[in-house]
Amino acid sequence: MADIRDITDYLAKDDWSRRRFLQATGLVAATITAGPILEACGGSTGNGTSTTTAVGTIPKPRAGAKIQLLQWNSFVPAADAEIKRQAAEFSTANNVTVTIQTVSGDQLQPKTASAVEAGSGPDIIQMQYGWPHLYDTACLDLTEFVNILKAQLGTVNAVNDAFCKVGGKYLATPYCQVPNAWSFRTDYWGQAGLTDFFTTWDELASAGKALKSKSLPPIAVSLGHAYGDAITMWYPVLWDFGGREVSSDGKKVTINSKETLAAVNWAIDTFKNQYISQNTLSWLDPDNNQAYHSGLITATLNGASIYIKEVYTTATGHKYAAVTNNAGMPKGPKGLESLNLIFNHAVMKWTQEADTAKAFIAYLMQPDNYTKWLNASVGYNAGPFQKLTNADIFNTDPKLKPFVGVVATGKWPGWPAQPSKATSQSQVQFVIVDMFAKACTSGDAKGAIADAEQKLKRIYETPV
Amino acid sequence: MAATRAVIGRRKGVGKARHEIGDTLLGRTFRVYIPVLLFIFITLFPFYWMAITSIKSDSELLDHNRNPLFVIQPTLDHYVLLLTKTAFLRWSLNTAIVAVVSTAISLFCSILAGYSLARLRYKGATAIGWGVFITYLVPPTLLFLPLAFVVAQLHLFNNYLSLILTYPTFLIPFCTWLLMGYFKGIPRELEEAALVDGASRLQAMTKIVLPLALPGILSAGMFAFTLSWNEFLYSLIFMSDQAMKTIPVGVTSELIRGDEFFWGQLMAAALLGSIPVALLYSFFVDYFVAGMTAGAVKG
Amino acid sequence: MGAAVRGLEARGLMGPRVRILDREAPLGYLLLVPLLLLLGLFLAYPFLFGIWLSVTNAQIGDNGHFVGAANYQYERSDTVFIQSFANTITYTAVTTVFKLGLGLLMALLLNQVFPAQRFVRAALLLPWIIPSVLSTLAWRWMFDPTFSVVNWVALHYLHLPSVNWLGTTSTALVSLMIVNTWRGIPFYGISFLAGLQTIPTELYEAARVDGATRFQQFRQITLPMLRPILVVVLLLSTILTFGDFTLPYVLTNCAPYNSTCVLSTWAFQIGVNGGYIGIGAAISLVLFPLLSIIVAGVLIGLRSRD
Repeated sequence: MADIRDITDYLAKDDWSRRRFLQATGLVAATITAGPILEACGGSTGNGTSTTTAVGTIPKPRAGAKIQLLQWNSFVPAADAEIKRQAAEFSTANNVTVTIQTVSGDQLQPKTASAVEAGSGPDIIQMQYGWPHLYDTACLDLTEFVNILKAQLGTVNAVNDAFCKVGGKYLATPYCQVPNAWSFRTDYWGQAGLTDFFTTWDELASAGKALKSKSLPPIAVSLGHAYGDAITMWYPVLWDFGGREVSSDGKKVTINSKETLAAVNWAIDTFKNQYISQNTLSWLDPDNNQAYHSGLITATLNGASIYIKEVYTTATGHKYAAVTNNAGMPKGPKGLESLNLIFNHAVMKWTQEADTAKAFIAYLMQPDNYTKWLNASVGYNAGPFQKLTNADIFNTDPKLKPFVGVVATGKWPGWPAQPSKATSQSQVQFVIVDMFAKACTSGDAKGAIADAEQKLKRIYETPV
Repeated sequence: MAATRAVIGRRKGVGKARHEIGDTLLGRTFRVYIPVLLFIFITLFPFYWMAITSIKSDSELLDHNRNPLFVIQPTLDHYVLLLTKTAFLRWSLNTAIVAVVSTAISLFCSILAGYSLARLRYKGATAIGWGVFITYLVPPTLLFLPLAFVVAQLHLFNNYLSLILTYPTFLIPFCTWLLMGYFKGIPRELEEAALVDGASRLQAMTKIVLPLALPGILSAGMFAFTLSWNEFLYSLIFMSDQAMKTIPVGVTSELIRGDEFFWGQLMAAALLGSIPVALLYSFFVDYFVAGMTAGAVKG
Repeated sequence: MGAAVRGLEARGLMGPRVRILDREAPLGYLLLVPLLLLLGLFLAYPFLFGIWLSVTNAQIGDNGHFVGAANYQYERSDTVFIQSFANTITYTAVTTVFKLGLGLLMALLLNQVFPAQRFVRAALLLPWIIPSVLSTLAWRWMFDPTFSVVNWVALHYLHLPSVNWLGTTSTALVSLMIVNTWRGIPFYGISFLAGLQTIPTELYEAARVDGATRFQQFRQITLPMLRPILVVVLLLSTILTFGDFTLPYVLTNCAPYNSTCVLSTWAFQIGVNGGYIGIGAAISLVLFPLLSIIVAGVLIGLRSRD
């Protein structure tokens, strides 16, 4: 059994450039001061000071307990390896058994949904985006627990907070973000006569134009049903031009506006003139990575994975390592917003070991451990609490800075309405992405907006 | 027993060589060989593509300048990684256990039910026969949610039994239907003779009818084995531990990571995962065809 | 066949020895028990529950309450639902025609004598025996807009323009059908081959003596003799294609903009990912009554000829 447990660790050992990896993670050591949570998590340091604060204490794990955590398999295998290492460490220290189960990103939701329907399954589930709202009946109220974490780790990122809080209660603990920023080829950029990376959507279009006029590879972003890359692109486009899918109380569909029209027209214009690639209507999250690594696109919006693979792994032979850089989100006439992939941890109602589960989450969130994990994921993840945002990796590699930057401007699908079942429904139906995709291919902005409006009205105004 | 031989003899007699008088080699080339080759090409090209993908290095995979149909520097890395660094062998074992046992259970149920529905006369037999077939109309896409509830109530999550007991729901209908047809094709006199000689119904069934129905049972078994070997959705939902997954689920959940497809290993897994079933068919394909025969025609 | 006659026969068989298991009815029901137990627990219950869900406003984790036909009403005005419905019909109809035609052709060919026959038969079955989630992934890779080997061959060997297979509304649905047909032909082919082998060669010999052409032989002998298996395979395949989920989900997942949604993937998107399981159940059950009637009709027709 043991050899099966750690099968996923292989890339951490083989595929990853050991030198760069050590460089990234080795710096952790001295900088971290053991937080007060350490004690609550099984005294692995022997620091026995009791820290009963006004908001209560973190529950103690029950010896002999067995818990399971279900999560996606991170793009960065070393990050998963680190979680599993911490789980083993926690298990040994507290005489419990923590099992980490991983599935691929799009398998996580059917597994979660069936666990909720069955009222049985993993004790802790990693919740993507608005799932705490979707599965509110199945998540334990963690308000007290989150308040303890807040007292120790500082304020919570607004997006994590919005997703975790359902009706004023925390149904999940803030866990992390996968920031999405732009990765681009500096060599092509120069060849096209461009100096700075675009900072507005209009500059994106003119950069695309310059690339096209020199017959260089295009800027390319998914216009398909990619649960990450497509929505992290097209929601911000809508918002930055001032478009909103629904009013802030979540009751009135507001998509049909001149702001939306401006955003859609910008998209049509850019697409029709081939300032962005027209090949992307079927793209899933891996497609832009592949295209980039094979030198077929100049820039794309993505998690740090492209950069990580070019610079930190040997798999691509560091082909474009020297000519890859990253940049933040551009702004539009009405603002600068961004959207990132969000994960939070819910403790499920059916668990018999809620205390152990909470203790384990607290253990993962302990600054020492959390930072190790952040460093192991080389910039792919970002922390949700104030005190967890500053991992060394972002300082040792300044090119990763843009991924920190986009966290601050982050919003959630449905914004400015609070996350809800309806915003989730609109998101999984890809209403906004499809609006842009339809407009780009048909050239009919008004038709695409009307179609989106009709769908959104069904979701927000006249649900069954 | 003479009748037995007659039945078998008849089966062997059909499907013999069909060379026609006046058939020239040129005629056969255009009428048979070229179309067969075309079929082979269309059918097997994706497999060629999987094979060639599985032996390309990662950098060659993403190199769009070279001819993708050939490999410059073949490598077995993907196979080595798949076999040594993922639990592929364990997943294969799981798949085999689940497929074998669920096939056995399906055959057991289908043989009994097929015999009952085809050879015994009682009220409601016909209706039940239809009912069994109509269960195929039940759409599986959403039913895995209520089914998950049943599996949870029985505490079968992450247990072989969760798959072993649920796979028969989509295996039994076809197997039963196939075997019903097969049982009908076996002359009643054989069984009745045994009954007159003092055998019980069950003895007549196990000693006379079942041996004669062996090709049909084999066909049904291969059909069931194939479907359970390939099943995806139930396996994804009911199995959680890395060590309990079946091939389709283990491979996709391990080799599609965040925003990366590990194409080389995925394709290697697709090929390796098909080999056991492919071997089964290469040995038994003629029996499979023969077994389908009676069932299908009498169905 | 009169029930009375059957009853008499059955009683005649019982004779003086009245062993319960030798009586047809008790034994008959008894032999059905394992099947009924399994199907009852793992199929009938979830199915009935599914029907119940479709008339409630249930969401994942919340059983909801009875709303009558509201879900069905709601979906009637859903443009994506209508599109999915149409796609499902097109997808099933087109692939069935091709699978039927090509499967028949394959069976006729395989029924000929040629070298390495067993190997060829087994090889042609491969698309059917490979796990479809993995073969569909391979097709996704073959249709990839950037790395498509199909396009590469078309461009470099045949000098045809590249096609963005999965990226335009018309070609994406065609791509789904191509993969489904590729995967489905072998089952048709092998089933038909089985049917062909039961046709006595004497029939053909007699026809040839009468001077019938190959086509006449096919029309007058092969097709009529294949009819029973043809109908059953067609029925089975149609039902399974209507409900096909893995292939459309892995290949396109409804993109581009829901143009390749079929009922199963749309139900999954709304019911599982969106959590509105009541509506999802309604979507996936919408074809059930229609299919039931067709299947019942065909089966009755088939039995009455028996």
